[in-house]
Amino acid sequence: MFKIMRGAGGERVFRAATITALALLALFFFSIIISLLTHTNWDTFIRALVSEEILFAIRLSTTTATIAAIISILIAVPVAYAISRNDFPGKDLVDSLLDLPIVISPVALGAALLVFFNTPVGSAINNNVIRFVFAVPGIVLAQFTVISALAIRLLKSTFDGIDPRYEQVARTLGCSKPEAFFSVSLPLAKDGLIAAVILTWARAVGEFGATVTLAGATTLKTETLPTAISLSLASANVEKAIAVIFVLIIIAIIALLAIRKLIGRRYQI
Amino acid sequence: MTLTKFLLPITILLLFVGGCAREETGTVTAFCGSASKPALEEAAATFEQETGIRVYLNFGGSGTMLSQMKLGKSGDIYLPASPDYMSLAEKDGIVAPDSMTIVAYLIPVILVPAGNPKNIKTLADLARPGVTVAIGNPEAVSIGRYAVEILERNDLLDEVAPNIVTLAENVSKLASLVALKSVDAVLAWHVSAIDLDTVEIIYLEPEQIPRLSYISGAVTRFALNVASSQKFLDFLVSPQGQDIFRKWGYITTESEARKFAPGAWIGGEYRLPADYQSLLK
Repeated sequence: MFKIMRGAGGERVFRAATITALALLALFFFSIIISLLTHTNWDTFIRALVSEEILFAIRLSTTTATIAAIISILIAVPVAYAISRNDFPGKDLVDSLLDLPIVISPVALGAALLVFFNTPVGSAINNNVIRFVFAVPGIVLAQFTVISALAIRLLKSTFDGIDPRYEQVARTLGCSKPEAFFSVSLPLAKDGLIAAVILTWARAVGEFGATVTLAGATTLKTETLPTAISLSLASANVEKAIAVIFVLIIIAIIALLAIRKLIGRRYQI
Repeated sequence: MTLTKFLLPITILLLFVGGCAREETGTVTAFCGSASKPALEEAAATFEQETGIRVYLNFGGSGTMLSQMKLGKSGDIYLPASPDYMSLAEKDGIVAPDSMTIVAYLIPVILVPAGNPKNIKTLADLARPGVTVAIGNPEAVSIGRYAVEILERNDLLDEVAPNIVTLAENVSKLASLVALKSVDAVLAWHVSAIDLDTVEIIYLEPEQIPRLSYISGAVTRFALNVASSQKFLDFLVSPQGQDIFRKWGYITTESEARKFAPGAWIGGEYRLPADYQSLLK
């Protein structure tokens, strides 16, 4: 069937096909947002936006997601590099283990974390080091557990795509191993790093299942934006739920554009 | 690619969709609060055996179920586990006023992990230092609102509030928190304790309960199959249906419910105290 794609005409067809796919998908998401718009009661939206509960949830969601994203990227860079550059017995097993959080549903992860904090080791940590259960650090931990695997997966494929010979050349030119990593491999991984930051942060903001299971749904304490949406639906307050969904969408769009601009610019040479 | 190769999957798909649509007419879809889950599942199965009408049950928080029906503009029966949400559904015009039937009564109780490690015997024990308590989020979960009311009426809200370590987003979560031993006690319905190997029920003193709740059902205005829907509701309150509910530990008559709380209101509304949020932080 690829025969018809040959020649200048075929090129146009191919181009048109890919752009059509893009347009259709964009239209799909655009129409979802439009349908939300038609359901939005603007009085409720403004009232929700300036209410203490939602302002708190906005602050809580953005700070916890930022902390969780930073921690998971800081950990994922060395982990992904280690998996990408080393071969060791049982590597497949370790690799699969790190992928588990992506497959397991977030509610199950949250429940597993609750169980962990019931064990002697877990409760010792919870009572003496940092209080995670039903507390704000629990939100960060839940988000981290869900997103770290995503960061590792993205960064591993980025490092896989960088030829180790660049580093070897840098080392023959006198770089130490860390110097070679920081001045060659990491800058080459820029695109993957940006993608990882964006995706993990976005996923952390939207995380609900693990967060609500480990940290609870206490208003003005552990109520994040997704929790606020769920609570509004649970109190049959559809207008407020849609208003909060809209708040989440707006924050997500602003933040994602900002991250793209900031990181994209800093690394551009 | 030949034309037939292209058309075949589409034809199959259309047949499948068409087949589904035809099948739908003999079925009833119910949106139910999760407090009625075990009994309703058996009741629906029995009902299908006897009438051939298939009842699809959706479970979740009573408010969440109402939201889904409102957003999806569908659902034949609404079966919330609390009167508050039924009156909300009436106010929104989802169900006709006064069309609801009471299916079973719910008694608020204390649930503790099996073995009762903190030796909790009374409501006042929840105020003891070192006891951790969870309640439903009062804004969203009906039993959460009942919990605040019970504590307030018994002058224990100020003392118990510091022990309330978390608010749960639905009633099923409360039972799980006890089963996982994440808290020492929760205030929930007596039927929330599904697995008595992991959870123990502590009944309150009869005079400590200001209000009882009930599970009720009504046919909605979205109903495609009003006759079958009404038939299922009638089945739930028939002797046969009520036997199923009793078998699963539900209380089906008012006089029986009264034994747990002789002076209590049944249903009605309770306004949360204005400052309760600052107490629960």
